[in-house]
Amino acid sequence: MMKYLKILHISLTERLAYRADFFLTTFFRFLPLVTTFLLWEAIYAGAPKADDGAETTIVGFTRDKMIAYLLLVQISRMFSSMPGLATGIAHDIRDGNLKKYLLQPIDMLWYLLSYRGAHKIAYIATTALPYGILFFLFRDVFDLPGPWTWLAYFLSLILAFLIGFFFEACIGIAGFWLLEVTSFMYIVNIFTFFVSGQLFPLELLGEYPYLTAALEVLPFQYLAYFPAMVFLEKRQGTELIVGLLIEFAWAIGLLVFCRWLYHVGLRHYSAYGG
Amino acid sequence: MLLRYVNLWFSLAKFSLLGELAFRGNFLIKIFVELLWLGILLLFNYTIFQQTTSIADWNAQQYFFFIGCYFAMGGLIEMLFLDNCNQFADLVRSGDLDFFLLRPIDEQFLVSCKHVDWSCAPNILLGAVIMSLALWQIGWTFDTIQVGIFLVLFASGAALAYGFLLILMSASVWLMRNQSLFEMWWLFTTLMRYPSEIFKGPWAQPTGWFFFFVIPIMLVTNVPARVMVRPLLEPWLACYAIAAAIVVVAASRYIFRAALQHYRSASS
Repeated sequence: MMKYLKILHISLTERLAYRADFFLTTFFRFLPLVTTFLLWEAIYAGAPKADDGAETTIVGFTRDKMIAYLLLVQISRMFSSMPGLATGIAHDIRDGNLKKYLLQPIDMLWYLLSYRGAHKIAYIATTALPYGILFFLFRDVFDLPGPWTWLAYFLSLILAFLIGFFFEACIGIAGFWLLEVTSFMYIVNIFTFFVSGQLFPLELLGEYPYLTAALEVLPFQYLAYFPAMVFLEKRQGTELIVGLLIEFAWAIGLLVFCRWLYHVGLRHYSAYGG
Repeated sequence: MLLRYVNLWFSLAKFSLLGELAFRGNFLIKIFVELLWLGILLLFNYTIFQQTTSIADWNAQQYFFFIGCYFAMGGLIEMLFLDNCNQFADLVRSGDLDFFLLRPIDEQFLVSCKHVDWSCAPNILLGAVIMSLALWQIGWTFDTIQVGIFLVLFASGAALAYGFLLILMSASVWLMRNQSLFEMWWLFTTLMRYPSEIFKGPWAQPTGWFFFFVIPIMLVTNVPARVMVRPLLEPWLACYAIAAAIVVVAASRYIFRAALQHYRSASS
């Protein structure tokens, strides 16, 4: 355990070495958020008004709830996105660098999990201020939930991190059999961006019942949509517990599958290069 | 002189195509990725227009024209420049930029135009198809002058985007890790993805004004799209878009040369 904590510490130091790059990227990351908010403002302004003068809603979301949702999926993705993980693993396999994990008393998957954990902590710590300001500016769109919802939300985020990690790790481990996973990752990233609910709440796809039924059983909604819905208290009672259990089952399922895939992959591994 | 560069560009483009065709599978996957992205973009906007009648006074057909224009513009920039600029910081870090500087040809041309990413070429075509479909739905009648103005403004928009990309690339020498440029550019181009009219409100209006007049990235797609589908285009706006393109391209060249001054050929 101590050695993985050391890895966490070293990775944290490394992450903060490129400060200018880090802060500039963080600043730029707010641009899509700003334009998305403005786009939704324009969408609500153009939407048909209710006859009784009630506030305009789109698939059950008022303008405030939509803004809140779009802010919350940013938090979800802060936990569940794993840029470069799959391609990094695949490169290590292809270049023979995987040997470093095999020759040392260290497990690749646990090492990478610690490493990613450090990146997430560094990212969350350094973006806490700009995100804090953003959430403060939009404080009116939120109704603060009760302590149990906070707990469920926190749990859903941790599980989102695990699902995101093991899902991408599985794709990287496919590098034992595929020469190159980069192009495949592009497809997966675009697909995930859409089906995880990062672009809009999945209720908007209501007119495609087969698609929504498929998304219900797949793990992608837990990467962005589900945690946001938990915070907005649109998942409560039994529905919330069942949702968290399914998310937990996906996290465990992907962990087991990932370890099995790695185990089988190592038998194929010839350690060329490196 | 110009003819020499044109001939050289065609040779580089041909060489790039041969390189792409050597890995046909990868080439086809890259095209598929672009198609997937377009599909999602269209599905997203189609779904949105099921819920609303207009976005910032742009009706569905006008808005889809805008999307086509953005997609074609993005495809053009990615095809001609993005991959090249993305490699610049790596050339500096590794010292391989020496090989570019030693050649008897303009460094900016060679750095930013060396490779043509042919997998993005279909985006230009698909963007044109979406624009044509939108115009057909509007009931547009062909007007040579309007198309001529559109093409000039589209070219000036591309020049403007190239200038910003070059500035961002040059800045990467001082500020960024080499892998960041692609993401930076994607984030920056968010500002050319939507009509400028969405910038409404006490803080959004000054922000929109800033990115329209001070760092005029929003001109890239807004001005050419407006000339085709919006009822009125102010002549000053067209002139301003062209002038802005000239200024930004000139500034980007100056900044690029300043970045080269900092190159110490350390790793070669």
